[in-house]
Amino acid sequence: MSMTDIALEVNGRKKTIAVEPRRLLADVLRQEFGLSGVHIGCAHGVCGCCTVHLDGAPRLSCLTFAVQCDGASVTTVEALGGPTAQHPLQQAFRSEHGLQCGYCTPGFLMALLPFVDEMVARRHRPDDAEIREAMSGNICRCTGYHGIVAAVRKAIDASLAKGA
Amino acid sequence: MQGRPFRKSEEIVRPASFEYHRAASLEHALDLLHEFGEDGRPIAGGQSLVPMMNFRLARPEHLVDIGRLPLASIERTGNGLRIGALARHIAYFDNPLIARHFPAFLEAVHYIGHPTIRRNGTLGGSISHADPTAELPAVSVLYDGEIVARSKADERRIKARDFFLGAYVTALEPGEMMVALELPLPAPASTGSFVELAERRGDFATASVGVALDHDNGRITRFAMVCSGADLFPVRAGEIEQLMIGRPLADPGAAEAGKRFAASIDPIEDHIASADFRRAAIAELTRRAIEAACTKALK
Repeated sequence: MSMTDIALEVNGRKKTIAVEPRRLLADVLRQEFGLSGVHIGCAHGVCGCCTVHLDGAPRLSCLTFAVQCDGASVTTVEALGGPTAQHPLQQAFRSEHGLQCGYCTPGFLMALLPFVDEMVARRHRPDDAEIREAMSGNICRCTGYHGIVAAVRKAIDASLAKGA
Repeated sequence: MQGRPFRKSEEIVRPASFEYHRAASLEHALDLLHEFGEDGRPIAGGQSLVPMMNFRLARPEHLVDIGRLPLASIERTGNGLRIGALARHIAYFDNPLIARHFPAFLEAVHYIGHPTIRRNGTLGGSISHADPTAELPAVSVLYDGEIVARSKADERRIKARDFFLGAYVTALEPGEMMVALELPLPAPASTGSFVELAERRGDFATASVGVALDHDNGRITRFAMVCSGADLFPVRAGEIEQLMIGRPLADPGAAEAGKRFAASIDPIEDHIASADFRRAAIAELTRRAIEAACTKALK
């Protein structure tokens, strides 16, 4: 079993670890970095639960080998709003019932965050179809999605109102 | 915020073991692929290959990481468009050359996966993976594209029509790698359309139909049509393509063409759809694609 050394910056902390090339980024984040907020739903890229940010952009960590990420920076849901989930998007998920069991939530948050930021930067209030397209790569088996759409809308509206 | 390592005692592994090599240049990648032959596979976005590896349906012994090589440009060549194999799907959407010359291509790529997949998946990955109903193989066949393949010793061009040999089977030889797709520019008065049926948006298609046509004086002067779901790879509608030439854009006989094409095919039957269902769907998709293209041409 050959091991490869890789340097990762995870949530701002740099660490060099030895990994087997076949190990998925998702498993490495959970097992080597203790980041249990990286949820693995399907492990073949259809549910979106394991979405993290790789060098600032969403990436399915179950379709990524950790060795491919040597030198890269990774952000997981743990870095978003802390243990009490203070990020405005997380707050909106809470108030709009954007989650029930919560298994899919980290993936939704990480996938939707750049979309929310972009809408706020463009000062654009997206319609439901745009929001649903942005979250089309994530599966939720509890909410029926309405609460998630409402949460995204609320997070964008709140940021736009604050900036106005 | 970082808790205790999770289940440290049992390291979870999913794919079979392989050796990883990061290519420093295209030449380096070709050297490595030459050395490994059938046991080596290039990897970039991994959006098609890694699911297969996680299921252990694919077990390459060597992965050559080409993800950071500079092969992502989309540029005009003499009389065509050249798209590098490492172009990410997201790059097609705001490319003016694709929007202007290849409308069916632009419509087709809206059906590819989801935002995260589009940001990371590559043209070369999708075409080399050769899923029977994937969008990029279909449009490469529709637009008479050529796949540019490199090996250590050689570069060759393979017509897209001759490239897809079966489900997940292509004309690429061991040691060879796709580096670009080239599409000849269509005539100035041309347009196109692409429609797809899938169980859920972003899933692989049950069937799809793409149309590209040239027109003059309100009539069709050249007609190309591709269909996925009719066979294990995208097929052109030879007989229908001849039939449509000379027909008026305002009344192209799309429904009849759809029925005629559907009667000529022997679609695949699987857990998603019976052959009869696929035949009926393809007749309707054909009608919609032809009508959409003709409507655009009239504008």
